[in-house]
Amino acid sequence: MDEEYDAIVLGTGLKECILSGMLSVSGKKVLHIDRNKYYGGESASITPLEDLLSKYNLNNEGDQYGRGRDWNVDLIPKFLMANGQLVKLLIHTGVTRYLEFKSVEGSYVYKGGRISKVPADEREALASDLMGLFEKRRFKNFLIFVQEYNLEDPKTWKDFDARTMTMAQLYEKFGLDENTRDFTGHALGLQRDDDYVKAPAYSTMKRIKLYSESLARYGKSPYLYPMYGLGELPQGFARLSAIYGGTYMLDKPVDEIVMEGGKVVGVKSGEEIARCKQVYCDPSYVSDRVKKVGQVIRAICLLDHPIPNTKDALSTQIIIPQKQVGRKSDIYVSLVSYTHQVAAKGWFVAMVSTTVETATPEEEIRPGLALLGNIRQKFVTVSDYYEPTEDGTSNQIFISSSYDATTHFETTCLDVLDIFKRGTGEDFDFSKVKHTLEEDM
Amino acid sequence: MNEPVVSSVKPSRVPEQKVILLGDFGVGKTSLFRRFTNDTFTTSTDRKSTLGLDFYTRSFQIPQQSDVVKIQLWDTGGMERVASVTSSYYKFAEAAVLVFDLHNPDTFHSLAQHMIEVASYAENCKVFLCGNKVDLVESVNEEEHASRNSSINSREYETVSIRDMEQFCEQTSVITNMYVTSCKTNQGVSEMFEDISRQIRNASRARYELAKHSVLQDELPFQLTDDEELESQSQTCAC
Repeated sequence: MDEEYDAIVLGTGLKECILSGMLSVSGKKVLHIDRNKYYGGESASITPLEDLLSKYNLNNEGDQYGRGRDWNVDLIPKFLMANGQLVKLLIHTGVTRYLEFKSVEGSYVYKGGRISKVPADEREALASDLMGLFEKRRFKNFLIFVQEYNLEDPKTWKDFDARTMTMAQLYEKFGLDENTRDFTGHALGLQRDDDYVKAPAYSTMKRIKLYSESLARYGKSPYLYPMYGLGELPQGFARLSAIYGGTYMLDKPVDEIVMEGGKVVGVKSGEEIARCKQVYCDPSYVSDRVKKVGQVIRAICLLDHPIPNTKDALSTQIIIPQKQVGRKSDIYVSLVSYTHQVAAKGWFVAMVSTTVETATPEEEIRPGLALLGNIRQKFVTVSDYYEPTEDGTSNQIFISSSYDATTHFETTCLDVLDIFKRGTGEDFDFSKVKHTLEEDM
Repeated sequence: MNEPVVSSVKPSRVPEQKVILLGDFGVGKTSLFRRFTNDTFTTSTDRKSTLGLDFYTRSFQIPQQSDVVKIQLWDTGGMERVASVTSSYYKFAEAAVLVFDLHNPDTFHSLAQHMIEVASYAENCKVFLCGNKVDLVESVNEEEHASRNSSINSREYETVSIRDMEQFCEQTSVITNMYVTSCKTNQGVSEMFEDISRQIRNASRARYELAKHSVLQDELPFQLTDDEELESQSQTCAC
């Protein structure tokens, strides 16, 4: 450890592993440390199930939940958008070769106390009970407009400047009713609250486009999920980093971040000091350099059946738009199962999560829990959401934000790409990923 | 006889069998990996650095059979130097080769730990045992022979014997086969990979047939590719 590095990365969560991989690929000498014995930090998938149960003083007596080591339970629920940033990162870095995915079977939205499928094609749209016949026609025109809209080509604007005019004005233009607006902004645009309505329409239009482009890739839904759980993602990027020369240390306590003249110069563990020019880390390694900006509640639920009214889907996402349940932010429900090798045969893992708004967060997710049917076991966590107090350019400590309540990795990737740019002064150059032996053939 | 066939067409009807190398740092896993890849190269120069070594696929013709087994060999990327390899490394593996240094008993004794990892992360995978650096052992034996009467500290030249290896196989009772190799002299290396390809052929073939005839084809997991790759694949598959 007593060596000099270009960068020391602390924590092996997804963001830090992507950064470590990108830094190593860019030719930097990287030391990557985790205080835990395992890779993944908060982005790990817990296995065996007994490790999760024991945290809550429970056990798997008589294998009541099947075989413990068949489980890989995510702590933070998310899906990949099939055409999103993370998929692009996986493909361009070659990390995709370590992973296998399945398409999430269906996406649902909550309306008036029950759930409806978000239509995946024209046929489903026609049969959908989400809107009436005339509204469907208006909505179709709206979607075509969004699809064809091009900032470079004012002919596609049809007198609507999406850079200055708001989403509310766009809804108005197409005469969409309240229910359709709710559905569009939250189930397709994946906006977490209603602030977007008053903002310029372009960013929401881009999000709706991402949804439909992602849907077009695999058909059933815009979402993908990796076999063996989300914990495979950080491990894939860690391997990328190692292959490009990154050194890994696990089970290594970090006692001090050593500063000199206002800049980081090393990391101390016990009596050893590793010297470095930069540190990249998650908030848990620098509690005095981050501020708490909110809380996220997540309930992991073990089920022995699919979610009712989802046609027995083995994986789904349900979005409960905030307005439907009198809240400010949406509630998200996600379901994965034994078909992804994350649960014992016949078992399902549902996750209900949202941004905390009150002093009784468990009450807040009740509408989500109510959709699940009988819950065999439930693990609830409330986590603080941290952001760095500085951008790192002066002290060379680059800190990621905690994982938010969004159901996909778009914000995760934006944070990573932004940190990389702050740290290196340039955008990541994908062409630096050398052709490996496999591709030489 | 049974010369390995170099594959050039990428999308193949024969699925690749993932084989992982395991064992302590410095036992010669990367050297085995290089030997595995070298035979498919006409020029085997300038491969001095470990960087960028990931996995590599080679096809093996099964003697007296028409089928070909594609072995996709994975190296650890050096992660085991200080930390441990990721559990991901084991996923989807058909076989694991436990490598140790015949000249270093410590690397043999720590195989038990590697066995536990195989059992927890890749339980249905076949396990092979490989004693590497046999060239060192032989040179030591000659030295020992030459200076039998001098007082050489025997601990210094302690080696792992074939008998030790056999005992390990008996005790664990999950090892499919064992080999003695030298990457330096290339002794036993290609024989080992040829034998491994034969050993995993039957098991994997049965599974492949099952998957091929499965009506749930679309339920199988898939790998992500970018659009260009998708297009070039559909071109080569035009049959």
